[in-house]
Amino acid sequence: MITRFKLASVAVAAGLLIAASAEAHHSFAMFDRNTEIVKSGTVVRWAFNNPHSWLYLNVRNPDGTQTLWSFEGASPTGLIQRGITGDTFKPGANVTFMYCPLRDGRPGGAIRVGQARRRQLCQPGGRRLQRQQGEHHALGRPAQAGRYFTGE
Amino acid sequence: MRSVRNLAWAGIGALTLAMASPTVHAQRGSFGGGYGPPLKAEKPPRAFATSDEHYEYLLAQAKGGTRHSLASVPRWDGLWTTAGNTHLEAFIDSPGGLAGKVREGVLTPAYEKAYKERWRQQMEEGQVRYDRLAHCEPPGMPRFLLEPYTHEFINLPTESYLINDFGPSIRRVLIGKKHSNLYGTHSWYGDTIGFWDGDKLVVNSKFLYPADFTRWSPMTSNQFESVEIWQLKKYAGNVERIEVQATFYDRFAFVKPVSVAYAFRRAVDLEKADYRVNHWECEQSTNAYLDEKGVSNFHLPGEKGFNDARGATMFPELPGQTRDPIYNTTLTPTSTQEERSR
Repeated sequence: MITRFKLASVAVAAGLLIAASAEAHHSFAMFDRNTEIVKSGTVVRWAFNNPHSWLYLNVRNPDGTQTLWSFEGASPTGLIQRGITGDTFKPGANVTFMYCPLRDGRPGGAIRVGQARRRQLCQPGGRRLQRQQGEHHALGRPAQAGRYFTGE
Repeated sequence: MRSVRNLAWAGIGALTLAMASPTVHAQRGSFGGGYGPPLKAEKPPRAFATSDEHYEYLLAQAKGGTRHSLASVPRWDGLWTTAGNTHLEAFIDSPGGLAGKVREGVLTPAYEKAYKERWRQQMEEGQVRYDRLAHCEPPGMPRFLLEPYTHEFINLPTESYLINDFGPSIRRVLIGKKHSNLYGTHSWYGDTIGFWDGDKLVVNSKFLYPADFTRWSPMTSNQFESVEIWQLKKYAGNVERIEVQATFYDRFAFVKPVSVAYAFRRAVDLEKADYRVNHWECEQSTNAYLDEKGVSNFHLPGEKGFNDARGATMFPELPGQTRDPIYNTTLTPTSTQEERSR
C-alpha cells in the first residue's frame, strides 16, 4: 500500500512538473538527461518564480547529515495549466519525485518528467530513452528505482 | 497515513489532468501544434525586394486600410498561448522536426554555417550549449512569434499591443503611422506600424537588433524586417485560433524572403485558474551562466553568483524586505556546498 502511495506521489511530480525544454530561456546542456533518479526530501522552498520554478529540498545523507538540493522545474504558466501553484509544495512537506541530475555531480537537477507521456522523461530532443509507455520508474539507475518501488 | 493517502489521490488526479492536457506536438516545429487544422505558410502574392515594398503593396490592395472605431475594431481579449507554427519547415529538410537536416540555400553562407553548428549541437549533444536568453536578454523579434508562455493581444483603433509575458515582450503596432526611429539605432522590438484590412491586422516591423528565432534556430541580423498578417479564425469543433502569416526579410541572413505561419489559441486553463500575468523576474531569479567549457550551467545556493529569487532586497536590515513574505523561507547551504564555492 505504501508503495502505491509513493508511486502516486511520484506521479504528482511526473504529471505536473512538465517542462518542454524548448520553452526554456536557457540550454539544458548542464543536465544528464539520460539518467533519471528518484529522490525524497523535505521542502525548504518552492520558488514559483519566472522564468523557471525551483524546488529546494533538504535531503538526508547516509551519514545522517543533510544536503540542500536544488531542482529546476517548468515555468509557472506551464505548471498552473496543470494545477500546480505557488502553494503546492509547502515548506516542511516531504516529497518524492524523479529528476535528471546535473552532469557535474553537484546537488541539483531538473524535474522534467512530464514528458513521460511521450515515452521520454528528461530527454527533449531527438534521442529517446528506452522506456515503456505507462512506466513511472526512474531510468538509468534501476537500483534506485527498484528501491523506491519496494517501498524501502 | 491520511496525509499520504490524500497525496496519493492528489497525485492520481494531477496525473489525469496532465495526461489530458492539449500539448500535442502534431505539427513539426510546433509549440502547441496540433490544435486545429494544420498550419500552412502562405507566400506573398508576388516577390518583393523589401518589407517596405511588401507592406505598401498590401496597404494599396486594402485601399489605405479599414478605419475601425472602438466599437468595430476586432477584439482578441483574454489570455492566449502558442498553437503551433511552420517554423522548422522553413529551415529543416524532410523528415523535418528534430530529425531533419539544415536546408541548404535558405540562409546565406555565413548564417547557414552558424546554424549548422547550432543544429549539430542540438542533434549530437541533445542541446544547444547556450541560449542568449540565459543572461536575460529579451527574446526580441522574431523570437516573439515562437516563444510560448502567456500572450495578450489588445486592439484599439489607433494602436495594438501584442504582448508576451516572456521577457516581457511588448510590440506596439501603430495604426496608420509611418516608421520613426528617433533613437537612431535598433532595438529588440524595433518599430512596428500597421493597418487593418477588415478583420486582418497587417504589420511591418523594422529597426531590430540581431537576434534569433530560438537557440536551435537560425540567427537573424540587424537588417531583419517582417511583414505579418494577423487574423482570428474559427474552425469546426469550437476551435478558435489567431493565425499569423509572416514573411521575413533579412539581406544578411536569408538568400530570399522566408515565409512562416504561427498560431495562438486561448489559454483556457490559465483563465480558468484565474491566472494573472506576472512581472518577468529573470534578472533576480536566473542562475544560468556560460561556464569555462562553453556550456550552460547553474549557480546553486551558497555558490558565488547565486541569485536568490526569494531572498531579501539590497536593504535586508529593514523590516519587510524579503521577496518571500508568505512562507519566509531561507536557503541555508550545507557545509559541503560552501566549501565547494570557495
